[in-house]
Amino acid sequence: MFRTFVIRAVQFRKRRLGLAFAALAVSATLATALFSVYSDIERKMRVQFRGFGANIVIAPAGGGQTVPLAAVALAERQGAVAAPFIYTVGRVKSEPVVVAGTDFRRAGPLTNYWRVEGARTAAPGECLVGSSVAAHFRLKLGQKLELDGAPCTIRGIVSSGGAEDAQVILPFDAAAQLAGLPEGNKAAASLVQVRADGERLASVQAALAKQLPSADVRLLHAVAETEASVVLKLRSTLFLLTALIMAITTLCVSTNCSALVLERSKEIGILKAIGAAERKIAALFLSESLILGVASAAVGYGVGLLVAWWIGRQIFPESVAAGVGVNYGVFLPVAGVTLAMAAAATLAAAARIWRIKPAVILRGE
Amino acid sequence: MFFRFVSQSIRRSPRRKAMTVAAVAMGTAVATAMLGVMLDIGDRVNRELRSLGANLMVTPKAQSLPVEIGGISYRPVSSQEYIPEDQVPKIKSTFWQLNITGFAPSLKAAASLGGRNVPVEGVWFRRRFRGADGSMLEAGLRTVNGEWKVDGRWIDDRARNDQNNGAVEARLEAMLGGAVAGRLGVKPGDTLQLFGQPFTVAGIISTGGEEEDRIFTRLEVLQRLTNRPNQVDAVQVGALTKPEDEFARKDPAKMTPKEYDRWYCTPYISSIAHQIEEVLPMAVARPIWRVADNEGKVLGKIRGLMMLITLAALASAGLTVWSVMATTVLERREEIAIMQATGAGNGLVAALFSTEVALEGAAGGLLGSWVGLLLAAWVGRAVFQTSLEIPAILGPIVVGAAVLASVAGAAQPLRRALLLQPAVALRGGE
Repeated sequence: MFRTFVIRAVQFRKRRLGLAFAALAVSATLATALFSVYSDIERKMRVQFRGFGANIVIAPAGGGQTVPLAAVALAERQGAVAAPFIYTVGRVKSEPVVVAGTDFRRAGPLTNYWRVEGARTAAPGECLVGSSVAAHFRLKLGQKLELDGAPCTIRGIVSSGGAEDAQVILPFDAAAQLAGLPEGNKAAASLVQVRADGERLASVQAALAKQLPSADVRLLHAVAETEASVVLKLRSTLFLLTALIMAITTLCVSTNCSALVLERSKEIGILKAIGAAERKIAALFLSESLILGVASAAVGYGVGLLVAWWIGRQIFPESVAAGVGVNYGVFLPVAGVTLAMAAAATLAAAARIWRIKPAVILRGE
Repeated sequence: MFFRFVSQSIRRSPRRKAMTVAAVAMGTAVATAMLGVMLDIGDRVNRELRSLGANLMVTPKAQSLPVEIGGISYRPVSSQEYIPEDQVPKIKSTFWQLNITGFAPSLKAAASLGGRNVPVEGVWFRRRFRGADGSMLEAGLRTVNGEWKVDGRWIDDRARNDQNNGAVEARLEAMLGGAVAGRLGVKPGDTLQLFGQPFTVAGIISTGGEEEDRIFTRLEVLQRLTNRPNQVDAVQVGALTKPEDEFARKDPAKMTPKEYDRWYCTPYISSIAHQIEEVLPMAVARPIWRVADNEGKVLGKIRGLMMLITLAALASAGLTVWSVMATTVLERREEIAIMQATGAGNGLVAALFSTEVALEGAAGGLLGSWVGLLLAAWVGRAVFQTSLEIPAILGPIVVGAAVLASVAGAAQPLRRALLLQPAVALRGGE
């Protein structure tokens, strides 16, 4: 009997309930989408900051000129990206030029900002040259560079706006040989650049400093702090906006649900007149609201995740490859808040049921 | 008569009307707050990103290749290649001068300290000068790298003392990078022998970068000691730029005049560099891609993200207003039927209801945009500690949109109700 009542109530007022449903579902969609974007934004933004390259530099301390090459392995054990760099002065046609050496495979993620014409890596016997070097010696891709002690074929021309523009960049071992640095156990580099995840930056730095007492493990404050402040500010902006939208959404749910009760005073009067108990009537309204709430939360969840996924795909295409980029866990808070507000608003409005006098209401006053 | 109808209708059920207006206001508030934040967040983040340091480097047009490792030059400096110091302020007279947040000229030298060469830079720390339009402007290291951590104090460019037979000379002060200071074991307040002169250590700078191995002193002091008056070797420039897009990567030399104008009048890093080269013909300005490129990427992501979120919020706000208005008309089908039964024409009923709906939409829109602007300002203050710059036109636009969405929402159910026979409607059927 009770079920028939509820089902009929929904069937008879399809249009009105449809609109209430639409309003609730739209709110749930927005809340889900924003919540999902918010919960993942920190990870996605930090990925963007990887492009800035190293945030820790291991440099020689005190009177030293080099750092042990073992620092690279130590940093990698901490889960960081690390690459050794070596700097020396070489000669091309008896003119001095800065020669840099690096492990191209490891340095790749740290040098994304290099604008390279040609290849980004060089095998033994090959090299990259900076744009100023290329302009100065009139060099082209594929040409042979007459570097004293390490002649090489030019595979790429680098422009970065930084020191690289005036360097010849060789594979690490070739540059180490040219610089006359020891090999094997005592291998060393001029400096080691490290990129650690922003969240673990301080602990990685502390661990490296402890393991490398003879080196100076420095945090690049400008990169680290800008990353932290921008990520934090974006996160708090999204948090406040999400909270705001959730607040307005719950208000919207509650006005909708109380309207559903208030506009049916006449029906309540009739039900009371034919002897229905107040609690039964309240239960009737409550189940109607809950059905609406569940349905709209479910639909809003689905559509909201789609919206979040679409936003993620538009803005962060590279992170979508790593996962769908949406947070399935937002269903509980969104559905929970929607249902709780629907129930609370309906019950608050249902308090009227007890006060309604059938005779007065049905007379039309 | 018409107005009495409308005002009566509003007065008769104030509670229901208030609810409708409140619902419209909520939707509008969401839309306004999101729009307000979105419109200004790019600028705010751009300013945050300036703490990364310079994104443009200006150096003299050189015939020779710099041979420099860690700030030490391995080739005798040629005094032929320099930028005249008195020309440097011209950077602030370019087209995009307001986007240039700071610049710092520097002169490089090396000093022998503790048995090794240490790079010394003569710089402006913070200097005020009068710009081309007569306004006071600021430049120097602190305008480009204001976030550097300093133990001790910054050198004051204005501090002078009387020496050398009464001639007014700049005070001999130096700031040391953390690594240099650690090696030499000096603290702020100590005295250091540089170029055979006693320098007071004003402060110790720790950045983690190559500045750790530098010594900074005032430009005119180093110019005098190295005998290079009015010369600087490089100028760092910090500029607020627009992220590079496809258009910005085109070669300006191959653009049509119209494209060139558009490129010139957009604050791309490349066009700002071009304009600096125009006022300093003896120099080349190069973007520091490590900063410039990534800055643009991060900014682009944040702008795009906020735009899509705002779009989603606008769509849902519009839908909410639309559904609320549709509901109010739906509820009053009986009223419409009675009006029709008593002889009101469809046009009159439609006009009555549209006016009412538009009024409700405007009231809700006004209230909502006011609340939304407050909320946006609150978000701005809470996150960025400054109020956001929200264009004044936003309010009227949002109110207009709220009215439009309201009327659009009411239109379809109203048409349906008008087409229905009054008898059928009054019986409560479809």
